[in-house]
Amino acid sequence: MTTHHGDNSELSAESMNEYVSVRIGDQLFGAPVDAIREVFAPQSVTSVPLAPSEVAGLLNLRGRIVTAIDARRRLGLPPRDANDAGMALGVERGSEIFGLIVDSVGEVLRRPRAELEPVPAHVDAKWRAMVKGVHRLEKELLAVLDVSAVIGSAGSKAEAA
Amino acid sequence: MDDLISEFLTETGESLDVIDSELVRFENNPEDRAILDNIFRLLHTIKGTCGFLGLPRLEAVAHAGETLLGKFRDGELSVSPPMVTLVLRAIDQIKVVLESLEHSGVEPAGDDAELIGLLEDAAMGRLPEQAGEQVQQQPENWDADLGRELRPGEVSLADLEAAFNSADPEVDVPEIAAAEAAPVEHLGVGDFDPDLGRELRPGEVSAAELEAAFASADPEVELAPAVAELISKDMSHEEALHTAMAELKAGDDHIIGEGGVKVMATVRVGVDVLEALMTTVSELVLTRNQLMQTVRGLEDDDLKGPLQRLSAVTGELQDGVMKTRMQPIGDAWRKLPRIIRDVSTDLGKKIELVMDGNETELDRQVLELIKDPLTHMVRNSADHGLEMPADRLKAGKPEKGTIKLSAYHEGGHIIIAISDDGMGLNTKRIGEKALEKGLTTHDELARMTDQQIHRFIFAPGFSTAEKVTNLSGRGVGMDVVRTNIEQIGGVIDVTSAAGKGSNFSIKIPLTLAIVSALIIGCDEQRFAIPQLAVRELVRVGAGSDHTVENLNGARVMRLRDRLMPLVDLHDVLGVGEAYNGASDETGFVVVLDAGGRNVGLVVDNVLDTEEIVVKPLSDSLRGVHAYSGATILGDGSVIMILDPNGLAGEIVTAMEDEATLEAGAAKAAEMANTQRLLLVRAGGSEPKAVPLALVTRLEEFDPKAIESTNGRLVVQYRGRLMPIVPIGSEIRTTEGQRQPVLVFAENHTSIGLAVDEIVDVVEERVDMQMSSDRPGVIGSAIIKGKATDVVDIAWYLDQSRAGNIQRRASNRRRRILLVDADAFARRMIAPLLAAAGYDVTPTGGMHEVHAIAEAGEKFDAMVGDPSALSRIRQEGLWPDLPTLAVTDWPEDTQAEGLTAVLPRSDRGALIAALDSVSQEEKVA
Repeated sequence: MTTHHGDNSELSAESMNEYVSVRIGDQLFGAPVDAIREVFAPQSVTSVPLAPSEVAGLLNLRGRIVTAIDARRRLGLPPRDANDAGMALGVERGSEIFGLIVDSVGEVLRRPRAELEPVPAHVDAKWRAMVKGVHRLEKELLAVLDVSAVIGSAGSKAEAA
Repeated sequence: MDDLISEFLTETGESLDVIDSELVRFENNPEDRAILDNIFRLLHTIKGTCGFLGLPRLEAVAHAGETLLGKFRDGELSVSPPMVTLVLRAIDQIKVVLESLEHSGVEPAGDDAELIGLLEDAAMGRLPEQAGEQVQQQPENWDADLGRELRPGEVSLADLEAAFNSADPEVDVPEIAAAEAAPVEHLGVGDFDPDLGRELRPGEVSAAELEAAFASADPEVELAPAVAELISKDMSHEEALHTAMAELKAGDDHIIGEGGVKVMATVRVGVDVLEALMTTVSELVLTRNQLMQTVRGLEDDDLKGPLQRLSAVTGELQDGVMKTRMQPIGDAWRKLPRIIRDVSTDLGKKIELVMDGNETELDRQVLELIKDPLTHMVRNSADHGLEMPADRLKAGKPEKGTIKLSAYHEGGHIIIAISDDGMGLNTKRIGEKALEKGLTTHDELARMTDQQIHRFIFAPGFSTAEKVTNLSGRGVGMDVVRTNIEQIGGVIDVTSAAGKGSNFSIKIPLTLAIVSALIIGCDEQRFAIPQLAVRELVRVGAGSDHTVENLNGARVMRLRDRLMPLVDLHDVLGVGEAYNGASDETGFVVVLDAGGRNVGLVVDNVLDTEEIVVKPLSDSLRGVHAYSGATILGDGSVIMILDPNGLAGEIVTAMEDEATLEAGAAKAAEMANTQRLLLVRAGGSEPKAVPLALVTRLEEFDPKAIESTNGRLVVQYRGRLMPIVPIGSEIRTTEGQRQPVLVFAENHTSIGLAVDEIVDVVEERVDMQMSSDRPGVIGSAIIKGKATDVVDIAWYLDQSRAGNIQRRASNRRRRILLVDADAFARRMIAPLLAAAGYDVTPTGGMHEVHAIAEAGEKFDAMVGDPSALSRIRQEGLWPDLPTLAVTDWPEDTQAEGLTAVLPRSDRGALIAALDSVSQEEKVA
């Protein structure tokens, strides 16, 4: 949101980014809070034969059908343990809800916007398309997910076909 | 956009549609006051609203139209087709302006003076005045005939619209003048004769008009009536205004005329509100079902009573909401009378459109989806189904052709029939075209009933624009119609009798929101199949009369003395283990109507039938054709809805895979299907094989008919000279015996390969054992236990063109990945490539491609439909391979990232391109 005096205000909310921290494989990711509708535990996911591999299946979220997208698949990581259902980030796009399946969901982190650094150029192109930037945390790096890119390419690829 | 304007647009759009059809009705019943009053009232309302909203351009056109109608109403003018055409043109012009109003929110700039002038001329009393106007414009050439020729019916609508839309009026006038002048010259001045006039434009000249033309020949009567009319025009306008106002005041429950439009107390509700309501109610129904299922086992009477009531109320609510979505099918038909009128005027045919069952209701969503297919079909019937009046009379039929539309309910479906009493479908031509398109073979065609042949008009790609005239245009775009109808779970069929007419029938569900579905089990998973597609259920295995049998690896089942192909859902979906056919295992066969024929789908279990709410598929699953949607069952679980038509495609693929798997070829590289081969003897005793799919026809010629010109052998064939090339060294003819010739047609040229003898047709997998250096031979394979040379047709084709391309310099057979979702296309291209000496791996979809990529297969080139190839490109599979896209519409295809885009019809070009790609590769 911009106001006519927005440029001067260096105050908290305007300059901080809020992330839901999630873990996918060994990497810590941050999903921008405003991109996430809710966090839920995926239950009874119906697998869809013949579907693109990143589609983990469909599930019922309070009467709505949610397409579960496996973040590990999208990022080219090895699959999770079969018994581990993981957690899901609910993402609304258009009239559809997607569930982005991650390994685990942690706390909400706030980082100054100014500290967001671009993704180093030698990072795998696949990742660069889905990661908006990197925050340096004390112990590790927080890769900021472009949630709609992670979800989105599933849809756009189908359109291209 | 302004709310007022948007409401005005909706309302006016509806009114204009009514006016359109009412005008046509009025033209046929000029005595019916009620119709005219209704038209007048609607147009007047439009005019009034335009004035109120400050839309002067619309107001002016509406006013001019209304004035003319006022003359009809006051009996000052008699109704004639040109007059009606003029009013219709005014309506069209209003539509044009409205459309741009809808896009931009403002009235477009432009001048309707021309049209308004014509309308005013027409309204200026009887024809003498109009004639008088013409004299002023073109005093030299004016003739009694001219008055008629200048009528708007003579100038095509497109021309007029172009003229109106054009900003510079100075350019337009000569254009129109030229268009007008032409018929005058054609007729010749002073050549006027009433009979001649009628002959030139059959069905257009009314008695009134002729009288008028005679009257107009006398120029002395002109002036006085003109003044009189001018005065009465103003008066009648005022009068009309009063009448209209009175009618408007008359109240909401006013009912106009017999068969007219009823105006009832209604509230305008946005469609999205209804959709949302429908979704909510659907959820409520599901929750109710869930609750009922939970309570079923309990013995709690306190709970049961209220629940029962909840259930009943929910049901009523569902019905009620469904009703709000229902609309009479007449809404979809409203535009048809006008379309038919235009077509009949354009073509000079006489057509009567009979509509039966207008009030039959169906879901708004379904209605929207069938509107265009219906319009297309009715136009088709008028355009191509009905004959010209003269031909009809010759055939002993009434001059006026009839197109009949009817609709009625049957079960949960609505049946719509479109029939005409025209010439019927041309069975022979359709058959020929099906052959040409490779949809069938001579053998199959010979065994087909007429109806089966007629159904080819629905085959995908059967009618492409360029081929329209080949089929006398009949069946144009019927594949598109079929696709549209099947998308909403409907089926379409055709019956036709030569000379008597055709009858198309469409069966569609009343609503798409809730469908009855069969729930089946397959590999621990459940799937829904829409009941509409299910013909019957058969149990196979232990304790059943039916068994699954094998026919050369393909599974079949005997069903009432017929063999039905079976396909296992496990194989189609690539899950679990297929039904093994052992007697101790039971399975179920769901007999599906897949693209018009019976296919048995083998599943593990049939569990239930349930009313399901269809939810659209997510974007990420839209590429998977096996499903039409998903749904949530009563127990809360999500299941996929199988799409019988999409499944048909997968089924064909699965059948092909299965056949090869059974043949012992497990490697993906050997997924090539078995081929039908023609065994011939030529130039030697050993048999030679030719892929049958490439042979267009088998002919026998009298050896005397084969002539020699310019050192080449030719024969006169179908009015053309066809070169004859012997497969052996020479043509060896025996006296008195006819010479067998294999005809290959390509791009309007054909060549004949002369052979000594046609031996047999076999179906075998061509496993090339040795490649060959000899020209004209691809290599040798074992066919029917004998070493057989496989003939290189492409080489002979090149020979005949004297364009011998050097190919296959390398001894290694080049591998081609063929990707095309269309099974027919794969069948066409695969043998062609195989015949040209390539090793082909046909694939139908991305999942197969992925499997092959994962298996680490290597290829030399990719051939296929452009979208599939671009997708492979995007995914970065086989990045350096040349890609040759083959499509019916090469000029519409984005060539980006593709090596070449080639027309599907040009087989030679494809082979040539592949060869050159291979050559380049070798050099590099």
